[in-house]
Amino acid sequence: MTAIEIESLRKAYGDMTAIADLSLSIDDGEFFGLLGPNGAGKTTTMEILTGQLSPDSGQAAVLGVDPATQPTAVRERAGILPEKESPPSFMTPREYFDFVGAIRDMPDDAVTAQTESWADRLGFTAKLDTLSSDLSRGQQQKVMIAGAFFHEPDVVFIDEPLANLDPIVQERVKRFLRSYRDDGNTIVVTTHDVDVAAELCSRVGIMYGGELVADVRPAELDADVTLLDVFLDNVDATVDQGPKSLTHE
Amino acid sequence: MSDGRARRVFVEMLREEWRLHSRLFRGSHFSLFPVFICLLAGAAAKLLAVTGTEPKTVFAGLHALVFVFGLHTGSIGFVGRDALRNLLGDVTLLVFSARTLPLSQNTLLGLFVVKDSVYYAVLFLLPISLGTVLAVSGAAGPLLVAETVPLLWTTLALTFVLGMGTTIAALGLAGRGVPGLALLAAPLVAVGAALASGVDIVFYTPYGLFLAQTPVRAGTTGASILVVFLLSAGTFDATAPRPARTVTPAFRRWWRRIGDPVATKSLLDIHRSAGGFGKVLFSAAILFGVTAALVDFAGQITGVPPSTGISFGAILGLSGFTTYNWLTQSDDVSLYFAHPLSVKAVFVGKFRAFLLLGPLVGLAFYGLALVWRGGSVAEAAVGGVLLVGVACYIFGTTVYLTGLSPNEFLFDTALFAVFGAAMVLPLVPILIAGFAISPLSGTLLAALGGSGGVMAVVGVALYRRSLPKWSTRYQQA
Repeated sequence: MTAIEIESLRKAYGDMTAIADLSLSIDDGEFFGLLGPNGAGKTTTMEILTGQLSPDSGQAAVLGVDPATQPTAVRERAGILPEKESPPSFMTPREYFDFVGAIRDMPDDAVTAQTESWADRLGFTAKLDTLSSDLSRGQQQKVMIAGAFFHEPDVVFIDEPLANLDPIVQERVKRFLRSYRDDGNTIVVTTHDVDVAAELCSRVGIMYGGELVADVRPAELDADVTLLDVFLDNVDATVDQGPKSLTHE
Repeated sequence: MSDGRARRVFVEMLREEWRLHSRLFRGSHFSLFPVFICLLAGAAAKLLAVTGTEPKTVFAGLHALVFVFGLHTGSIGFVGRDALRNLLGDVTLLVFSARTLPLSQNTLLGLFVVKDSVYYAVLFLLPISLGTVLAVSGAAGPLLVAETVPLLWTTLALTFVLGMGTTIAALGLAGRGVPGLALLAAPLVAVGAALASGVDIVFYTPYGLFLAQTPVRAGTTGASILVVFLLSAGTFDATAPRPARTVTPAFRRWWRRIGDPVATKSLLDIHRSAGGFGKVLFSAAILFGVTAALVDFAGQITGVPPSTGISFGAILGLSGFTTYNWLTQSDDVSLYFAHPLSVKAVFVGKFRAFLLLGPLVGLAFYGLALVWRGGSVAEAAVGGVLLVGVACYIFGTTVYLTGLSPNEFLFDTALFAVFGAAMVLPLVPILIAGFAISPLSGTLLAALGGSGGVMAVVGVALYRRSLPKWSTRYQQA
């Protein structure tokens, strides 16, 4: 079954085209990666799919629901980890989860159980009652990850989920994401990190200039071809083209 | 740093400040700000002059305000980081770059203070000085104006620098444990003792220098500024990590009583941000004081004491604007987009929080006014209706015009003009009735009560009509 369907999507900010003409279909239970350089249109795509932005034209559906006309219905069933957001400054992680639970009509005991479970899983139990503004960026990222999965959604949209996390927590998050996908849920991740996409995703869409320029299954690539090779073949840049200052004499 | 780095950092800090303000107040409108400030200062000073306030009092009040402004500005770059981050996202200022650039912390701090002094002196204090002097002393001739403007500008700049240095020194001392706190208390005790023994310490401040340019006053002004900055340099560490604040969970308890998660979060934001609920009370207290002064003044002119209920009720309702400002200060609508919340639900939560806080604070001060000044029961009841009506009207108008960014009013001239007109049209007739007519007839009271009800209905209607507009706009961003 199709979890996400995108057809001829377009979005511009003034003169700048963020998404040129995007069509894409993601099946139930896929771990789909949106990979691309800065400004490729990944985050805009994610924001349209979660009803945060309206497209200029084209159609999208998440679990059969149009995010442009029914944004809250989509967000009801989806989990979202935005790239730039951090938990509210004047709430503690515990209170933020209470807030999430209140919005999602979760019973108190379920909220408490999830809070303790996520704090234990990502190692922030000691920070549960610290104001979020006083947490490190890594701790804030952990809280936001927990908030995205808190209600065990069927589909999650996660933007750079491993940013600011130490290697141990990164590994824990990766394991969790794989197990979550194995349970039949759909995950859409946007990232700049080719290695992360290659390691986690069952399918990767490479975006460039607002278009989908490649659709790859990393596991099916030839042994002598890496995802980085495919990426570099499809975007208009090579590692050698950078300014001289990027190499150490 | 004799290699020009100090000058370069200083220029970059000035640029950073300009960009910060431009972004905070949505772009190009900020460049007109000095003109706006000049006109506003001039209008306020003229109003005070027309109402018989002595020029000396105007200048004294201006120095006091600038000192408070300096105190506030000193805290913005350091303790106000939370507020900046909430409004602008992650913000890293050059003053915090001592750990990543080969620049000493004291040099950066010094440059930061000089930058703020120059920036605010030119963009804020010069227009204020010009507007005020033209309004208060303009009729006395261009020579006096030409003499007074530079003098006022200089002493206001010195006052501002003193205020800013005082905050930084106080923050530095407060971070040094008991000895620091003791040292912090010492000048406060000294000021208290001086006042108790009849010494007018104001003469030894920049305001004293404005009144009379003597070597003693210049010396004490310079010495006080030198002392606060020596203390700042010796005690303040801009890059010191702040201890993490741990609090008792309150959300669930509050939410059960309030019944709306967005309203609960908004009230918690006010409670936990600097100043707590005290800042809401403070805003209303200022309106309360202004109303009391206006009532006294109107009574002196007309010979008839104005109606306590109508005058205080109508003016205290204006506190709704600052209350809504506080309720939206820590918010960005994108935060809510990670959850199944519509834009409408966010505004409904804000309105609920507003109803719980705004009219309540206004009514508390209104009750105080009634106890203090007295008045008939009928006028008190109508004044209460007016207060709630004006508060709802100002809320609805603000939401309609600015959504979740009421700060936009302050620096968008066109928006401010529309807002001003929307306030003046219904409020002027009410205030004329409240201040100039006494006693109020039953018919007039009924009309005033009715207008309060109409304002409440119009306010709520404006708020409701704005919901589709903001839903579309926030999703098109």
